[in-house]
Amino acid sequence: MEGVSLCVERGQFAGLIGPNGAGKSSLLQAVVGLVPCDAGEITCRARRIGYVPQHVAFDRELPLTVHEFLSLRLAGRGGWTERNLRSSRRGAIAQLDEISAGHLIDRRLGRLSGGEFQRVLIAYALLDGPDLLLLDEPLTGVDIRGGLSFDGLLHHLHEHRGITIVMVSHDLHLIEHQSDVVFCLNTHLCCHGVPGEVLKPENLSHAYGHLPRLPTGAAKLAPHVHR
Amino acid sequence: MDPGTWLEFLEIPEMQRALFVAALAGPACALLGTFITLRGLAFFSDAIAHSALTALAIGFLFNLATDAHAPAMQALLAGFCVLLAVLMEWARERTGLRPDTVLALAFTGSIALGVVLISRLRGYRVLESALFGDILACTWLDIALVAVLAITVFAVVGLNLRAFALSTVNEHLARLEGIPVRRLNYVFVVLVALVVALLLRQIGAMLISGLLVIPAAAARFVAPSFRAMLRLAVGFGLVGALLGLFASYHLDTPTGPTMVLADLVLFGVAAAGAALAGRWRRRNGRPGA
Repeated sequence: MEGVSLCVERGQFAGLIGPNGAGKSSLLQAVVGLVPCDAGEITCRARRIGYVPQHVAFDRELPLTVHEFLSLRLAGRGGWTERNLRSSRRGAIAQLDEISAGHLIDRRLGRLSGGEFQRVLIAYALLDGPDLLLLDEPLTGVDIRGGLSFDGLLHHLHEHRGITIVMVSHDLHLIEHQSDVVFCLNTHLCCHGVPGEVLKPENLSHAYGHLPRLPTGAAKLAPHVHR
Repeated sequence: MDPGTWLEFLEIPEMQRALFVAALAGPACALLGTFITLRGLAFFSDAIAHSALTALAIGFLFNLATDAHAPAMQALLAGFCVLLAVLMEWARERTGLRPDTVLALAFTGSIALGVVLISRLRGYRVLESALFGDILACTWLDIALVAVLAITVFAVVGLNLRAFALSTVNEHLARLEGIPVRRLNYVFVVLVALVVALLLRQIGAMLISGLLVIPAAAARFVAPSFRAMLRLAVGFGLVGALLGLFASYHLDTPTGPTMVLADLVLFGVAAAGAALAGRWRRRNGRPGA
């Protein structure tokens, strides 16, 4: 990445778009310190950052419950005792309830669906009350219905909890719907501004390279008759 | 049979010492084994154990294979295993080679060296005790070492349980919490190396991985949660080791292999129990959580 200079104001919902390999995930990882920043600087005024990574690869057969997973974060530094586990239960349920996932508390992490797992990851990121939330492709593995309720969840976190959100997504509808400001990245910053401007076809084709012309007007139907 | 005769073996000094080692080693191995299986490192402990044959050969070369030199031999074994474990972890972390490739390199290279050295010395006879172990030959020094080892394993894992658990789930999430994942990985492989080195002569290079891995694998079948898995694995490790020792006395079979077989019996029982419970839940319309 080079020449990327951008600023997200407190309370904004910023969408980050761009082709694969554009450096969107690396940018988020640099903010939380997972990858070193070789040159340039990142200034973060948020007190606490919640981060939801794109891929959380883990052993699906690990018998870890959602409660245990959340308590690993709540336990803080030091040990992870039976007492930690018991005392964290109420807080864990409250956090899950906020994002309508309270019923998942005793399920095993490896047995959750894609959408349920994303919710648990978001609950995990929200546990210490962050004022900045970084979401990396939160809709990966989530179906349309999950996506719609996810819309409401983001709205709640942004509008009611007042959390500043930076979200990487390929879902341009979600970006357009939620964002106050959109940054389009392709190793450099291609363009930024309000969604209505940035998401114009000419700007997108500049950032993504030349896209095949999308069919305008109504989608064409391919009739199929079962015999 | 009169219960007294069942327990008569407890009057034999060798069996008393073996009982101590079994009761200490079984649970410690199982606790460490839980993380070994969850991190996919079962072959790591195996590779270290087999590579340790080289250390034994070096010991023979310098005439350390006598009772008088037992502490020196033990130190040589521990030093060799720890060095190899750290080297393998370093190679895995730095070179981008796949972990199984690193294991194969260290494993075959060091076995080859060990066998060459042993064949130059006095034939393969010395290999047998190293491969299959002899718990009945253990001394009070061995027991003391195994006790220190068991306490160390429980203390290190217990005090760092959150860090170990979170980095087992996902290293990125662990690093976000400020957990020093790299340092933790090295601590872990050094613990595994010490366990393997100190139990090599009691359990044997071919079998030590069984004590590490099987109780944890059995616990995984039936545990409803992570903490339950840890507790069950330690329980299985203890029961398996004692059951194996007991059975080996009454059946007059070699102790190390019988312990592994006892662990396998527990594994079978756990697997069958999990299958039955799953069928019962499905029949009663309650799919597992």
